[in-house]
Amino acid sequence: MDNLFVIREKMRELYAAHSRVFDKGIQFVLALVTFYLINGNVGFMKAAASPVATLALAVICTFFPMIITVLLATALILVHMFAASVSALAVTALIFLVMYIFYLRLTPKMAIVVLLTPIAFAFNIPYIIPIALGLVATPISLVAVICGTIVYYMMAYVKKAAPGMESSGKAKMMTEITAYVKQVFQNKEMWIAIAAFIICLFLVYTIHRQAADHAWKIAIAAGAVANIIVIAIGDVALGVHTSYVGLIFGNIFAVIIGLILELFFFSVDYAKSENLQYEDDEYYYYVKAVPKLSVATPEKTVKRINERHGTEIMDTNKIRKNRQPKNDRAEKVHPNQRQSNQGRKRPTAKKGPSAKKHDIDEVNKLLLTQSLKKDLNMK
Amino acid sequence: MLDRSKVKLMTKLALYEQTQGKEDFKISEYYRKDYVGLHSICSFLWVTVGYICVWMLILLAGFDLIVGHMSLLLMLIMMLVAVVGYVVILAIYAGVTSHVYNQKHKDARQRVKMYNHDLIKLLKLYEKEKQ
Repeated sequence: MDNLFVIREKMRELYAAHSRVFDKGIQFVLALVTFYLINGNVGFMKAAASPVATLALAVICTFFPMIITVLLATALILVHMFAASVSALAVTALIFLVMYIFYLRLTPKMAIVVLLTPIAFAFNIPYIIPIALGLVATPISLVAVICGTIVYYMMAYVKKAAPGMESSGKAKMMTEITAYVKQVFQNKEMWIAIAAFIICLFLVYTIHRQAADHAWKIAIAAGAVANIIVIAIGDVALGVHTSYVGLIFGNIFAVIIGLILELFFFSVDYAKSENLQYEDDEYYYYVKAVPKLSVATPEKTVKRINERHGTEIMDTNKIRKNRQPKNDRAEKVHPNQRQSNQGRKRPTAKKGPSAKKHDIDEVNKLLLTQSLKKDLNMK
Repeated sequence: MLDRSKVKLMTKLALYEQTQGKEDFKISEYYRKDYVGLHSICSFLWVTVGYICVWMLILLAGFDLIVGHMSLLLMLIMMLVAVVGYVVILAIYAGVTSHVYNQKHKDARQRVKMYNHDLIKLLKLYEKEKQ
């Protein structure tokens, strides 16, 4: 478990050091995936659906705020709708306008959720969205989730019905518009998904704010279970077929993402939590204090003790010369040796106070006098 | 000579000016009542357009049903529902708009106040330097 926290800290440090690069990278990938999915699903206008256009749009969006990505995605969808049929364009534009007027105008930051929800649907993992938003956002983000869900099912219908729309012509425009609106808003699968997301988001949001131990984990699990149960009941009640394998695996993946979010946004040590009780003149207070869990990343420093690892061959001549008297020594240093000493700067260990050097003869004399003094008992 | 506290203060001020400050300065030019009033009028217009769009979508979705059961009573009921719905939505939206823009103005004023406070601090630092 500690390793996870160490990895988290390292990732945080890495992000803090290169936040601009990461932000722009994520923005580019998100824009690329968005435009790729739009062009892949409803790419009726070939010029706008080309890979070059997709890449160019993604690059442009990278250098602008996130809202530009959302606006360009909306514009791209409308362009494709226009290529499919005027009726599709009219209805889609009307739905986008309603979304903008009633919600996105007041909270433009939530536009990103409208973008992420269809992407999650395209990857068969839409259950991540209500669980993640329940943990890190407020219930008002639910409106954005609903808008995103409607956009996805709208695209899915157009993808299916586009060939019929192209061939119908102007005469059947009204019928086409009516059929389009009906199909989008009478789609049982869509309403089941919306109901499941509403229940899941409220459940996750409510439980994760409780003072109970492991509230986040319980909330994530409860959200996933609620998703499965509501969709299964809805399927049975309304006679819609949803892939249960996809439902279960999608929710398992949502749980994993939820746990990763917990690791980053709410890591606490429940073992060290404290329950306090105190009072003032008006109230009794029951306080639960849970300490945040923080792990310091171990810093690895490499200390080089020796730069050269080769074995040094002792120069016997040099040692012999050193043994000669001091006066001779100064004069007889070999010129090559001097050069090599100048060129090579080896790191030297710090020396302590060096011991006084004695000549061997002097030492012998000293030892001899000491032993004589001992033998003769002299002081 | 570089003064650490002065550099910190100037960085903080520049950061604010180039990010949130742009919008905050515009907002704080209005009195709160004027600001909320202006946005309430805009919201009223937007909600009216949005409501018409919603009714268009409803009518389109139930076109066959409405045409099949067309009568004076049905039309009256629909008109009544439309008017009541409009009033209710307008009331809800007026409340929401008023709350959102009140809060927005309040927050912006608070931030501009802090900005002015920092500016005065910076001026004092300059005066100190001159002396």
